[in-house]
Amino acid sequence: MAHTTPADSAELAAVLSDYLAERLGTTRPVEVCDMERIAVGWSHETWLFDAVWPQDGTEQRMGLCLRRDPGNALLRDKSDLGEQFRVLKCLEGTDVLAPRAHWHEPDPAVLGAPALIMERVPGVCPSPWRRAGREFYAAAAGRGVLPASFTNALAAVHNVDWRSAGLDFLGVPEDGNDFAHREIDKWESLIEESGHEGHPILADLIGWLRHHAPPVDRLTLVHGAYRTGNVLIDDDRVSAILDWELQVIGDPMYDVAYVLTELNREGTELLSNVVPRELFFERYQQATGIEIDEERCAYYQLLYAMRSAAFWMSAAGLYADGSNSDLRLARTHWSVTVALERAATELGY
Amino acid sequence: MSFESHELLGRLAEGLRREIAPAVDDEYLRTQAHMAAVILERLAREAALGERHRAAEAADLAELASGLGEIVGIDGASQSQAAPEGVRSALARLQDDPDVMSLGLVVEALYRWGPERPAAAAALDAIRSVLRRDIDRRMDIAR
Repeated sequence: MAHTTPADSAELAAVLSDYLAERLGTTRPVEVCDMERIAVGWSHETWLFDAVWPQDGTEQRMGLCLRRDPGNALLRDKSDLGEQFRVLKCLEGTDVLAPRAHWHEPDPAVLGAPALIMERVPGVCPSPWRRAGREFYAAAAGRGVLPASFTNALAAVHNVDWRSAGLDFLGVPEDGNDFAHREIDKWESLIEESGHEGHPILADLIGWLRHHAPPVDRLTLVHGAYRTGNVLIDDDRVSAILDWELQVIGDPMYDVAYVLTELNREGTELLSNVVPRELFFERYQQATGIEIDEERCAYYQLLYAMRSAAFWMSAAGLYADGSNSDLRLARTHWSVTVALERAATELGY
Repeated sequence: MSFESHELLGRLAEGLRREIAPAVDDEYLRTQAHMAAVILERLAREAALGERHRAAEAADLAELASGLGEIVGIDGASQSQAAPEGVRSALARLQDDPDVMSLGLVVEALYRWGPERPAAAAALDAIRSVLRRDIDRRMDIAR
């Protein structure tokens, strides 16, 4: 994440003001208020702000979220704001809790980088990697509402009629085990783009994954990173699912595996720090009619190990090739080692 | 007075962490200073352990390279060649360039041959033992 100065924020606010006035169809000035850059990950920049303008004698206020692609994000060409915008538009009117997307600006000259502006949904998104976040989720879990809401929100993703919603533009895997092979191909290509030399453990993991790729019975929309930290919580309920960067049409067990993995919880048996296993299984299966296949989930946990290695290799590569000077990316050189060690353990050695 | 590289790197890391980073007002730049300390600590560990690790890797690979031919059924004396050309050439490259990274080509060749074959499975097991020792050494630095 590049450094942001107050001058950068002021300049962006000024440009946004003009942009929004045009999009909102008002001749009155639009004020960009309370602009805040959220420090999350190494993907796109995320800014929250209010747009305020007068209309018919009253003050109009709209809470908005801006995502910008600086061109040096970890996922490289695997994450595209245009695709995110299209996915969010497709999800409007469905039961999926996704923010409403307003505008996509592909021309970097307009807002400084390709950008997506969506509604700001009420809610909080405490980081599950921090103690305060885990305490938040534990307390919410204890009140009994969020576990069901978390499960139901994922079920809604898997239940959406993706064909009718127009989501087949994401690419539809062929029958059989094409989904897994597509994912392996994707992360292999990210590893290649990273310039990383690879490692024999990675070769072993990829070989194993290709050899054991499972067939898929039912294709659904798959979020790709469903966990606490990627959902907004408002009054103990999921108000929006965030981070629509990794979605695909594929095996719902891919998402279920991400919920089940112990890597997405810390110091608790609650899945994703928030939902008891039994409740998740019962509710999810009832809501979707899909039986959770733990063997397939175990396969996907190994696929996530490959994805994790690819992410860290990409991050380290961005620093190594000078695309990004953030030292936290330099440090990910050793995160690759941790990811490979985990892969070896998952493979049984 | 002279420093061993790992000692110098370690002291630089400590200086950054304890004195320089806390003195930086800007949150992002302070984080960068802390991260520089983390990186220097790992480089210090690499410098301290590097020679020992390289020797251990060389010993592992020498033993592995000499054993793999027999495992996959390549017998130089009798010219009996159970493994396909891809496996044989990957093993030859490993023997020419005994480096952990060369094992990647051997692994790929074994999967192409078929990991369910007893010889390929046995070869993978032998390679995995070496890879586990290698990754444990790398983890000594990465942790």
